Amino acid sequence: MQGVIGAFAELDSAVHAIEDLRKQNFGDITVYTPTPRHELEEAMQPPKSPVRRFTLVGGLLGVTFGYWIPIWISDYWPLVVGGKPVASWVPYTIIGFELMVLIGSLSTVFGMFAVSRIPRLTLTVGYDGRFSHGDYGIWVPAGPDRMAAAADLLRKHGALEVRNER
Amino acid sequence: MATLVQPRPSEPNEPVQRPNIATAGNRLPGVRDYEQVDRDIIGTLRPTLGWFAALGIAVLCLLIGISAWTYQIHEGLGAAGYHPPVMWGVYIITFVFWVGIGHAGTLISAILYLFRAGFRTTIYRCAEAMTVFAVMTAGLFPILHLGRPWKFFWLIPYPNWRLIWPNPKSPLVWDVFAILTYLTVSATFFYVGLIPDIAVLRDQETNPVRKRIFAALSLGWRNSDREWRHFTRAYLFLAAFATPLVLSVHSVVSFDFAMALTPGWHATVFPPYFVAGAIFSGIGMVFTIIIPLRKYFGLQHFVTINDLDAAAKLCLFTSMVVGLAYLTEFQVAWMSGNRVEQEYFWNRVFGQWAWSAWIMLICNCVLPLSLFSQKLRRNTTWLFILSLFINLGMWFERFVIVVPSLSHEFEPWQWGGYAPTWVDYSILLGSFGWFFMWFLLFMKQLPIMALAEIKEIIPPKMREPHDPAERVHDLDTLTLDPINTAGDD
Repeated sequence: MQGVIGAFAELDSAVHAIEDLRKQNFGDITVYTPTPRHELEEAMQPPKSPVRRFTLVGGLLGVTFGYWIPIWISDYWPLVVGGKPVASWVPYTIIGFELMVLIGSLSTVFGMFAVSRIPRLTLTVGYDGRFSHGDYGIWVPAGPDRMAAAADLLRKHGALEVRNER
Repeated sequence: MATLVQPRPSEPNEPVQRPNIATAGNRLPGVRDYEQVDRDIIGTLRPTLGWFAALGIAVLCLLIGISAWTYQIHEGLGAAGYHPPVMWGVYIITFVFWVGIGHAGTLISAILYLFRAGFRTTIYRCAEAMTVFAVMTAGLFPILHLGRPWKFFWLIPYPNWRLIWPNPKSPLVWDVFAILTYLTVSATFFYVGLIPDIAVLRDQETNPVRKRIFAALSLGWRNSDREWRHFTRAYLFLAAFATPLVLSVHSVVSFDFAMALTPGWHATVFPPYFVAGAIFSGIGMVFTIIIPLRKYFGLQHFVTINDLDAAAKLCLFTSMVVGLAYLTEFQVAWMSGNRVEQEYFWNRVFGQWAWSAWIMLICNCVLPLSLFSQKLRRNTTWLFILSLFINLGMWFERFVIVVPSLSHEFEPWQWGGYAPTWVDYSILLGSFGWFFMWFLLFMKQLPIMALAEIKEIIPPKMREPHDPAERVHDLDTLTLDPINTAGDD
């Protein structure tokens, strides 16, 4: 992948650069930030995270499984006491609840990994260790014809360093 | 158009903002920038002589516990002081004690996260680690309590060779589900929160072997906007799951007692009583750990007196809930008209076990009332001493629940006594060694505070000049406010 990476020390400079890049139709830019900042998120205007769907499906599967197991066990070896129903849903709610939380949580983490595309064996082109430390990075994928324009725009907004990467 | 933190022109005559006084725009005035966060907190990872000494003591305590357990396996459970009618003793007491300690971590990291309580930010990582290690410690006790510990896997719900499953209506089966879920979810929550911080360690590490380990543990995290977007949602949902889980786990532990027809146990107040007690004891242990840490590593500008003050208010509140639960128990016994129940409670407070009940009441209900005083809430020495009393009081709370009930059941011929032996005390000491060994190992490998979340509350660098309150950080030229640093010796 070809493109330009710019490092910014200041948040406002990075935000203005993102807004300008979006205006200039530089497509799929990536922002690196040491901590989540709502200013960057508003500038990027990303779609909603689909992680919640994993949570919902995992939670529903968990609660279903959590009720099914004790009901099946009770029916498999029925111990009828005083003519009461063999499966007693009230105490089984505890197992249903615990498995809802367990499977829902694990599927949330699995969903986060899947949509974030981690684990990743190698770091992406353009990534720099300073982006976890204190600086903000903006990666602009661009062909050779637009690289210079992207680099100029990043410099105009106060980038500390601009590099072409491939 | 993105919303930026609005720049404010500086006014020359404006009074200088003193550090360590949180403002709406700046919760940690003593912290200058993101680089300082990394430098100060990663600086704590360097092993010191004090750390080696503490680890040595923890391992020694653990070895004492292991030796006592070996002796008990050889001699049988009688070596632990069990004899009818008291067949639950120090091990079950300590099991409940450690599960309780494990509650504050998830409370602080999940519930206070949902409530947007700012004071959690700098203490939650320690509290989460404490949770994971406390539950790991608690999980040992049902096994230590077994006569044949190598058969521990019989506790796990699976069918035997006659295809008979464990009874899902039994509180012990609920316990297995609850504790294993809590351990798994707490450890997952802890690890997920660590991923961005391990990436920081990876990027700053110079040793190639450690760098590779951190790279693997950070899963190739690179701080991109996409990763943060999914991370923050996942973290929110995990917190939402963990919140009712915190309340459920100790409720389930309380069912071990409340489902039994034993005087003093068979009460509907047990679940909320146990949950409040667990949170109370967990906060006590957070103070026991965090106060020496902030002093030893000079992290007073991260864990501020304001944060401790807020946590102390939570401690006071839970202490009062626990006190109310104690009184409710007495009232229910009084109004029940049940003579056995009434005699049991009389025996608890004025009879055979009065000494333990009064230790519990004084440590858990009387001493924490001192936290009504703001001066004492902001005095770290007092908070530390109080936390030790709370740990003691909460262990005795479980003693008071377990032992007096079993030793004073329905018929006088059933009544008896209980005296823990050196094996019990050694294993109790060993559990503290086990817990602190893991904690000490953790604090030298991974950051004890959440780097990314602390950076979130530090005002970011701006190109435009901004609020002067956020710019004044020169600690050398400024005087610390006496109220905000009182007790901060």
